[in-house]
Amino acid sequence: MNMKKLLFAIALAFFALTGYQAFAQEPEISPERKQAIDSLALEKVRDLSKYIKLIGAKTTPWSEANRVIDRAEELFAPDAEIGVSSLAKTTVDYYKVRQYLERLMRLNYDRVEIDWYKIQYVSDLQRQPNGTYVGVITIFQTFKGYDAEGKLVYQDTTKKDITVYVKRKETQIGGRLISFWDVLLGDMRVKETTLK
Amino acid sequence: MLKQLKNVIMIAMIALVTICGSTSCNSSKKLSKKEYKAKVEQADKDLNAILNNETEWTLEEQQARIEEMKQIDFSKKNPEIMEMIERAEAKLANDFAERDRIAQERLAEEQRKAEEQRLREIEEQNKPKTSLTDYFNMIINAKDATAANKAINQALDLFESPDAVVLIRLNNYGDYDKPTTAANYLNYLKDQKKLTVGIDNIKYNAENKITELELIKK
Repeated sequence: MNMKKLLFAIALAFFALTGYQAFAQEPEISPERKQAIDSLALEKVRDLSKYIKLIGAKTTPWSEANRVIDRAEELFAPDAEIGVSSLAKTTVDYYKVRQYLERLMRLNYDRVEIDWYKIQYVSDLQRQPNGTYVGVITIFQTFKGYDAEGKLVYQDTTKKDITVYVKRKETQIGGRLISFWDVLLGDMRVKETTLK
Repeated sequence: MLKQLKNVIMIAMIALVTICGSTSCNSSKKLSKKEYKAKVEQADKDLNAILNNETEWTLEEQQARIEEMKQIDFSKKNPEIMEMIERAEAKLANDFAERDRIAQERLAEEQRKAEEQRLREIEEQNKPKTSLTDYFNMIINAKDATAANKAINQALDLFESPDAVVLIRLNNYGDYDKPTTAANYLNYLKDQKKLTVGIDNIKYNAENKITELELIKK
């Protein structure tokens, strides 16, 4: 290696290192602000629980259910999948978010009740090298399906883990630069399914 | 004798000139038969038009025309024209009275409408305005989607457009949720049935419509 090539390699290594350090030294957000984004991500999951309840409910008008499907789908990252389990089988089927929501709307019961509870972090939001915060929120879902006579024909409780991604973004609004936290939900994985 | 004769001749000439002059003057005021006939025909035509409402003249123009006709003495040779003039005058008097009546009615109607408008404005000013927060509460407490949608549509009237920006501030450190629109936020309230924000700032356009709404997490 001649001198020129050596100097070029050193310069390249220097810039690569300083660039990485500059990125790595981007200040962490304060605990108060971290608390705000923790709450924001939890709220998005709670919002999703309400959307799922509305989509599943047979009393929701068709047009409303479709609008809610759009809103619910917007909460997820583009390729996210949702797991579906049943007491009748041991395997879990995974569907793209929209496919899952549309199936939910058409479930073959006369009345459906879906409730989420114990919505909490199992893995706190952690800042990744690319600046995105990633965490896992767990939820418990009770599902009840009734027939035309109002008889409960199926019920289960499923524990699901939802990966959440929170990324800081900026946009210009009315000539003003607004920094916002974009929360996207990732895969919703089934952890366990029980009768109650 | 000669002097007396001269005087007589002079007096006779003066008398002749006076008489002739007077006669000549009278002759110039009189209409020729042809002119008179034309005047009668024109008067008959105009009066018929006036009596039968077939003229486009204004009432004032009709009155002026009748006054003009009255300057000519039709009573000897054409009493029927005089009779028509009388009828036309009577009709014109009625027409004037009717026009005044209509004008008065129109004025009264305009005054009534102006008064109604004034009362409406007073009522509108005194009516308690539904605030945005009221609409938020109406939406989240609506008994069904139809009632919620009605409240949403009313609330959207406060905005410049359904796409007006809605910002949700998370704290005082400049952190925001993802910006949304008025329509989407109001529908969000309908779906979630919860209000976790307060109004922090509102921007209006010249028509007093909201162009940007900034909310803050409670």
